[in-house]
Amino acid sequence: MSIGNYQKLALALLLGAELLGLGTSAGATTINRTFCVSSLNKSLSGQSVAFWGFGDCGGRGGMGGSGMMGGGTSPGPVIELGAGDTLNLSLMINMMTPQEAYPYNGHTIHLHGADVPTSEDGVPETNNNAVNGDTYTWSPQTGHEGTYMYHCHVHTVKHLEMGMYGAIVVRPKDASGNLLNRITPDPATAYNYQQIYVLGTVDPAYHTASGDSTVFGDYNPQYFLISGKEGKTASSPAISLAAATSKKVALRLAGLHSTNATFAIKDSAGNLKSFTIYVQDGRALPTPKSVTSVDISPGQRFDVLTTLPATSGTWYPQVTYKRLRDNSPYATVYGKITF
Amino acid sequence: MPWCLAALFGQAEATTQDFTLYISSGTWPINGAGGTIVDIWGYGDRAGSPTVPGPALTVYEGDNVNLTVVNNHSIDHNLVIQGVSTDLSAIPPGGSKTYSFTAPTAGTYLYSDTLNNSVNREMGLYGAFIVRPADGSNRAWTGGPAYTFERTWVVSDMDKSRWNDVAGSGGTIDTAVYKPNYFLINGLGGFDGMMDPATTLDGMVGDTALVRIVNAGQYSQSLHFHANHFEVLTSNGVRWPSPYQQLDTINVPPMTTADVLFHLNQPGHYPMHSHTSQMETANGIYLNGVATMIMIH
Repeated sequence: MSIGNYQKLALALLLGAELLGLGTSAGATTINRTFCVSSLNKSLSGQSVAFWGFGDCGGRGGMGGSGMMGGGTSPGPVIELGAGDTLNLSLMINMMTPQEAYPYNGHTIHLHGADVPTSEDGVPETNNNAVNGDTYTWSPQTGHEGTYMYHCHVHTVKHLEMGMYGAIVVRPKDASGNLLNRITPDPATAYNYQQIYVLGTVDPAYHTASGDSTVFGDYNPQYFLISGKEGKTASSPAISLAAATSKKVALRLAGLHSTNATFAIKDSAGNLKSFTIYVQDGRALPTPKSVTSVDISPGQRFDVLTTLPATSGTWYPQVTYKRLRDNSPYATVYGKITF
Repeated sequence: MPWCLAALFGQAEATTQDFTLYISSGTWPINGAGGTIVDIWGYGDRAGSPTVPGPALTVYEGDNVNLTVVNNHSIDHNLVIQGVSTDLSAIPPGGSKTYSFTAPTAGTYLYSDTLNNSVNREMGLYGAFIVRPADGSNRAWTGGPAYTFERTWVVSDMDKSRWNDVAGSGGTIDTAVYKPNYFLINGLGGFDGMMDPATTLDGMVGDTALVRIVNAGQYSQSLHFHANHFEVLTSNGVRWPSPYQQLDTINVPPMTTADVLFHLNQPGHYPMHSHTSQMETANGIYLNGVATMIMIH
């Protein structure tokens, strides 16, 4: 990095207001966002579990007002941008930021799958231990449409588990620079609805341990999430979508869990429904694949499309979390699409 | 480490390749944060020098292979090359056996001791069997994708207190319970794995690396590459169609292999690591486990 992290961050914050929303070339947009980190608690199966979440700092890039605390969530905000756009994602660390003690103090944002240079990669071990705020820049190109993720890369075994993650969606744009409702530029990938399923698992012991603790050597997940919520039964889904018959739904699956997992869609009678995988890890499959289930391992993403039937009903997209040793199931978390 | 036993010259016609591996017990260091010394049973290319993994056995398609295994340990063992050899029978303590076969189609194979309900394998009795094209070219298979250099990553896991400590002192393991706390790449924790020249992807922009991944452990390995996406050439011996699908994270289930082609596209230093929480540690202590470096100049 040619300039100091603080200078780089300050520059980004100063320029942020001016650049926000202004196109830099035909249809290309620069998106400036600044994230803060805050503490939050989730009630999972009746137990309170501490999380750390990213959130937009709010108010003039977090330089003042209540935005200092961020209002973070887990998962954090979805970042959506077009192929050809530039993302400047800044991280602000301040007195209110929850942290671990040295040597795991501070945070970063790793743009998972973005193939950015070392200076933008958010890995402290390769980037001069820059953990006190930085701006991470990425310009995905045409051909890179799909789902990516961001997460903290400091003491990852702890910080990712604490909930410091979210999804990034790169969408195709038309000639005028408008985001298209397609997974890729291919018209066959057009959708009427999109929804993001962020996979997550929670071992509460990891949430209370910190530093060099042997607790982190034995992962025993107790709670299983889609997009930050438990959905233990089809009647209490973690995520739901009210759609219309015969429409197309894009589901974007982001693997921020730490177990094996299998995604499937079932109808109310329990029959598996077909869907088509168009993109995996932000790259189009050479040949789209129609399947009735797909395995998702930690770090993977899938962008899939399904067509709802012509008669009304309910489908249950669902994630079954499985053990790393033998794929025996821990639990199934339900989503829901009504049409 | 006696890493490559093969003749290092290309060859145009089938020859005879003779190997001898010696099974014995020993200890194995895992360095860096959270490091330890574990009891192991391993294959070695010298008597009394077991290694984890065992030596990589590299041959050429069509070679006549004679692989002799000498059991210098106190219990039964064997050596089975998955998808290649079929003799599962035991070699008794003090005994030896020569497995003779013709080298199969070019690719990456796992060899391991299949006896004792996974205990023998968990203790370190595994390695990579690599078959190169008969023409000796730097290609994944005859006429297949070319590469500048290749690496083999044998990834694995060990449960020190419940398995290695118990087996190492002659006890009986409850194999229903397995909670590995050490995760290895080429027998190394990430502290060493990030510096080992036989493991790191270290090259120039424009180079292409063939990475042969062998999961000899009992846990699925979800390996994430920073820097660039890679192309998947094979998984578990099955060739994928061209053009090859590009990924940045690949799941390698236990007892399977994958060959990926990594194009070194941009200068910098980047990690490659398991994306599964505890696998980034040694007994919970960060940073260790299944990790190495991608260094692009």
